[in-house]
Amino acid sequence: MTAVLEPAQPTALPSTGLPLTAAQSGMWFAQALDPASPAQNTAEYIEIHGPVDPAVFARSLRQVLGEADALRVRVVETPDGPRQLPLADPPPLPLTVEDLRSAGDPDAAARAWMRADLAVPFDLATGPLFAQALFRVGDERWLWYQRVHHLVMDGFGYSLLARRTAEVYTALAAGEDPGPGRFGRLTELVAEDTAYRASDAYAKDRAHWNEAFTDRPEVPSLAGRTALPSRTFHRRTEHIGTEVTDRIKELAAGIRASWPEVLIATQALYVSRATGAEEVVLGLPMMGRMGSAALRIPGMVMNVLPLRLTVTPGATFAELTRQVVLGIRAARRHQRYRYEDLRRDLGLLGEGRALVGPLVNVMPFDYGLTFAGARTDAHNLSAGPVEDLTVNIYDRADGTGLRIDYDGNPELYEESGLAVHQRRFLDLLGRIAAADPHTPLATHGIATAAERALVLDEFNNTAHDVPPTTLIGPIEAQAVRTPDATALVFGAESLTYAELNTRANRLARHLQSLGVRPGALAAVAVPRSLDLVVTLLAVLKAGGAYLPLDPDYPAERLAYMLDDAKPACVIADTRDRVPAGTEVPAVLLQEADLDGYLGTDPCRALTPQHPAYVIYTSGSTGRPKGVVVPHAAIDNRLRWMQHTYPIGPGDRVLQKTPSGFDVSVWEFFWALRVGATLVVAEPGGHKDPAYLARVIREQAVTTCHFVPSMLQVFLAEPAAAACATGLRRVFCSGEALPRDTVQEFGRRLPGVELHNLYGPTEAAVDVTYHPCDTSAAKDGPVPIGRPVWNTRLYVLDAAHQPCPPGVVGELFLAGVQLATEYLGRPDLTEDRFVPDPFAAPGARMYRTGDLARWSDKGEVEYLGRTDHQVKLRGLRIELGEIEAVLADCAEVTGACVLVREDRPGDQRLVGYVTGQADLDTEDLRGRLAESLPDYMVPGTVLVLDDFPLSPNGKLDRKALPAPSLSAGGGRAPRTLQEETLTRLFAEVLGLEQVGVDDAFFDLGGTSLLAARLVARVRDTLGGDLAIGSLFQAPTPAALAGRLGADEGAGTAPDEALGVLLPLRTTGDRTPLFALHPAGGMSWCYSGLLSRLGPDQPVYGVQARGLVDPDEQLPSTMEEMAADYADRIRSVQPHGPYRLIGWSVGGVLAHTVAVRLQEAGEDVDLLALLDAYPSDQWQDQAVPAEADALTALLRMAGYDRGDELTREEVLATLRREGSALAGLSDHTLTAIVDIVINNARLMRAHRHRVFDGDVLFFTAAAPRAEDWLTRESWRPYVSGLLDNLDIDCLHPQLTQSRPLDEITAVLTSRLKELDG
Amino acid sequence: MALTVDLIRADVADALGEDPADIPVDENLVDYGLDSVRIMTLIERWRRDHGVEATFVDLAEQPAIEAWAPLLGVTS
Repeated sequence: MTAVLEPAQPTALPSTGLPLTAAQSGMWFAQALDPASPAQNTAEYIEIHGPVDPAVFARSLRQVLGEADALRVRVVETPDGPRQLPLADPPPLPLTVEDLRSAGDPDAAARAWMRADLAVPFDLATGPLFAQALFRVGDERWLWYQRVHHLVMDGFGYSLLARRTAEVYTALAAGEDPGPGRFGRLTELVAEDTAYRASDAYAKDRAHWNEAFTDRPEVPSLAGRTALPSRTFHRRTEHIGTEVTDRIKELAAGIRASWPEVLIATQALYVSRATGAEEVVLGLPMMGRMGSAALRIPGMVMNVLPLRLTVTPGATFAELTRQVVLGIRAARRHQRYRYEDLRRDLGLLGEGRALVGPLVNVMPFDYGLTFAGARTDAHNLSAGPVEDLTVNIYDRADGTGLRIDYDGNPELYEESGLAVHQRRFLDLLGRIAAADPHTPLATHGIATAAERALVLDEFNNTAHDVPPTTLIGPIEAQAVRTPDATALVFGAESLTYAELNTRANRLARHLQSLGVRPGALAAVAVPRSLDLVVTLLAVLKAGGAYLPLDPDYPAERLAYMLDDAKPACVIADTRDRVPAGTEVPAVLLQEADLDGYLGTDPCRALTPQHPAYVIYTSGSTGRPKGVVVPHAAIDNRLRWMQHTYPIGPGDRVLQKTPSGFDVSVWEFFWALRVGATLVVAEPGGHKDPAYLARVIREQAVTTCHFVPSMLQVFLAEPAAAACATGLRRVFCSGEALPRDTVQEFGRRLPGVELHNLYGPTEAAVDVTYHPCDTSAAKDGPVPIGRPVWNTRLYVLDAAHQPCPPGVVGELFLAGVQLATEYLGRPDLTEDRFVPDPFAAPGARMYRTGDLARWSDKGEVEYLGRTDHQVKLRGLRIELGEIEAVLADCAEVTGACVLVREDRPGDQRLVGYVTGQADLDTEDLRGRLAESLPDYMVPGTVLVLDDFPLSPNGKLDRKALPAPSLSAGGGRAPRTLQEETLTRLFAEVLGLEQVGVDDAFFDLGGTSLLAARLVARVRDTLGGDLAIGSLFQAPTPAALAGRLGADEGAGTAPDEALGVLLPLRTTGDRTPLFALHPAGGMSWCYSGLLSRLGPDQPVYGVQARGLVDPDEQLPSTMEEMAADYADRIRSVQPHGPYRLIGWSVGGVLAHTVAVRLQEAGEDVDLLALLDAYPSDQWQDQAVPAEADALTALLRMAGYDRGDELTREEVLATLRREGSALAGLSDHTLTAIVDIVINNARLMRAHRHRVFDGDVLFFTAAAPRAEDWLTRESWRPYVSGLLDNLDIDCLHPQLTQSRPLDEITAVLTSRLKELDG
Repeated sequence: MALTVDLIRADVADALGEDPADIPVDENLVDYGLDSVRIMTLIERWRRDHGVEATFVDLAEQPAIEAWAPLLGVTS
């Protein structure tokens, strides 16, 4: 039953109400964001262990509610902002009383009722903002439930209400007078708040917080991202037993802290390690009543204070806790300043950034209430909205320990993920409680014992016996087994295994005579050729380690490598490959006479521990460093590879990777160890997708490798698809492999396997592997996978403790594949190769500097770098090395180099320098190219007056300016195709505007962007365009010419001005018809094409009169719509029809839709882009010609200046290079007439009802016509009006970004329709 | 045994992890790190050892030793 209670006392509020306090305003705004959300509901229930008299209970409640005037309000919006008004007198006070004893599980039934009630939002404007219920769940057990809107009550307020209710009930039950209530009044809260906001203290508090957060710190969250609070939250409740609770309290006492502070410190430690962030910002909800009259007022007062903590592995737990104690103490002095205000002050609101990470909400208020002697337990059900994660901690009154709730925002946490965090936190807390608080935090990890065993042992169970062989031994053995098999192919040349072996042996014996032997190095400066392979084998056969000198590197760098490595000799094909001035003896293949040497395998005292090769990688201090890899390491790698991806005679492996990049190592040697054939690509061929496709097909290559960025380029090459027949496996490594690329691979090369490998040069090429699922079904990042044989992977946190699955840390590698050292650099070696604490003494591990995490299944995901090392196109670059070279230039005083990604997916190097004003940046780039390889020379160098600094004086990399690339001048597009192409160029290049004669590569186009552009052009305009075309026809005009006159989009202007504009006629989906806006043209809809995909036909519907000057303009909207409906039916005779329209086009779309329905047809999509029915316009004056001219200029993207006449407007269009300027004067004149005619017809039009739903897109930026409202469609739409606000102005709706949002919704709606 | 100002001061200093000499009797203890958990702890201790009857709200309303003395039964 629901009873209506009368209040016991009249309200003390003035009838005009009161303003909200700042604390209440915060809650009000949160509710206003989503008025139908129940997230602001707070609720709890109190379990009463004893008899309850419901009538007495109701009287008690009535009395208490009468005393609590802060509760008895509703909140309305007024011109002066929201105000709280007293509820009508007497206000309805709802109480539900139910006896649930007959239910199967009375407690469950009660909780189900409460859950349902908690999901009901309050109506702020009507109130009441609370609900009460009393359930009998046993003969002597009752549950008292309260739900209250957070705007009127906080946690402490609940405790006041509950205590007073118990007091009154106890008195009334005993027949006594409960005495007067002592609650303070709401007026006091409002007065105190007003006084505070006018006080000096307010100004001081504000200054304090703004100063403390002036650097706007990044706030780590366990979810790694932020979201608005959802309407609900996940809750996981756990308990800590008395034993651990007592230990925590003892620990706290021992380090002069309170037990909540110990829990806060532990939570900070957990967040720091789980996110890899040294600085953590926790939110601490505070009751905010100390020393205030609010202590006696059940209302909303609480605040959240941010607590910044620095968590370092070297500090002790006692020190961290001290930081918490002092941090809270400092915060408390300024605790009245609102969290919401600080967030606004710092400008975090607009950016959707959080001020704090997880909240730690300590609820110390011991209820310990009794109702006429019956004891009680309090159970919180909701403590309010959850933005990220809220940890509620209750000290349970009955001395049974602590209760810990983890409340998570479902947008950010799954229930299982929340449980994992909570379990780890409790496990960590248990270990901290048992440990000496004066030992460094580094002794604590966040993984549980089981997780530790999983990531250290189970995931690394890779032990595998391999014979003690070398890189070269198995090749010599294979030559004996299959002497006549083809070992090498290079263009038209080839060598058998016997020929290759013999040639290599002769050279090896010559090299031995020059001192090449085990432990010695021989440099190889030979371009890709048969000779290169012969030479590499010869060095190994002589027992030496080879040092590749890539002929494409600058001479200065090669000279440095020779000088640094001091090889016994350098082998080159010609003299000019040998860096001038070196003292290293040269062996010139063209001149050497080797015929005198024996062709049999030479003797050498080679062991698996001797070096096999030395490869130089970029060094952060400005000097490249040589990585020395022993035979045992690379032999293990190749044996694993052969076991995992077996190949043999009949297989052909492509060698295309430059020898200075370690991927080339397996390419060179794997095939030759197992009887397969190595196909050597032409020098430079690795950059040419068409060449690669040809060589793979013609040479029947079965196995090859791509760096992911090159794979993208390759896949965009039309000829690549033909490789699917012969190719069996493709390996990727060198940089992160995007999921898109994997899916594109699956589409272009169905049936071919794709494997993702990972490893640094320091660990023998690759140490992990992952077979890619190339189906479209799979999403998420592509893992780098599991460890190879005899290899262990460790993902470690800042304290070098193992990270549990899902937690990001730095990747360390251990096992047989580690390099021996950096050549001649013991300091660097010691720094990167460190003792392995998880293995036997003496074992080493290599710190990669890569960020990674384990999946639950034991695969590793790569997530970026810990330092400034970057990878561009798979090549490793230390920015410091480039900066050092820049800084060496005399006129440069400071230098910084960045990889920028100003356009998504387009990474490029940009250099920044300070120095003399007349710095010639082209000259600087020239000098960089003398000592750095091409890929390390920044494409742009900018000269700055000063480097931007962060508040703490460090270089603020994020504030460095993007290099400006500008374009847009020149001739205007003449055709729709040109118009479309200029738009696609601009989109792909990230530019505002591109002219028809602007060349793609001059505007900063790269081969990766070229691949993207070609794909977009293909999707938008159809046709089979190769990337190569873009090199030959790099401008929109030239490309349009190349695309030919056979495309539907119309190459001559007139064809694009008919009533039906065939934007895309192909595709098997139901066509979409787009109706023209005021100007009568539908070119503006071309942006739909690429976004809706190649299988979606799109037709524009355009006004009559654009082509033929004599054509009559329609005299009514209905006449126009009837004409359009006929034209639409000429394409698609019957429904379902799909219509979209922007502006006037929306009114037309609605009218056409109604007509089609009246003709018995089905219209299943009607999408209106910021279009408003004629009713809204009827009182507006019809635009004069001047307005039409303004509209015309707007269509072209310009604001009207001082142009007065048609002629002046046309002149402006021509001057500014608009697409419209390509139109004839007649057409432009017609547009002006059409605008005026449409405006007149629209005002006279009467809408009928469309039967169905409407998809509406509002241009939500503030506008002058603020009276326009989509609600005015209601009388003319029988179904739902489904709206999406787009943050732009009306004229901007068909620009890129708004169109992205529109088509995202449109695409999913079309998908739904197509089932 | 009845509480004295010195005893109160010593207990407060203990709860705050400070030296009693550093705790003034007339200053707002919130500035010295007094929070609700510590008030609850003090109340429990004084209730147990000295039979004090003051509530959390009583003490939190005026968080200073001088103001507490009469509430905690200090007579002198």
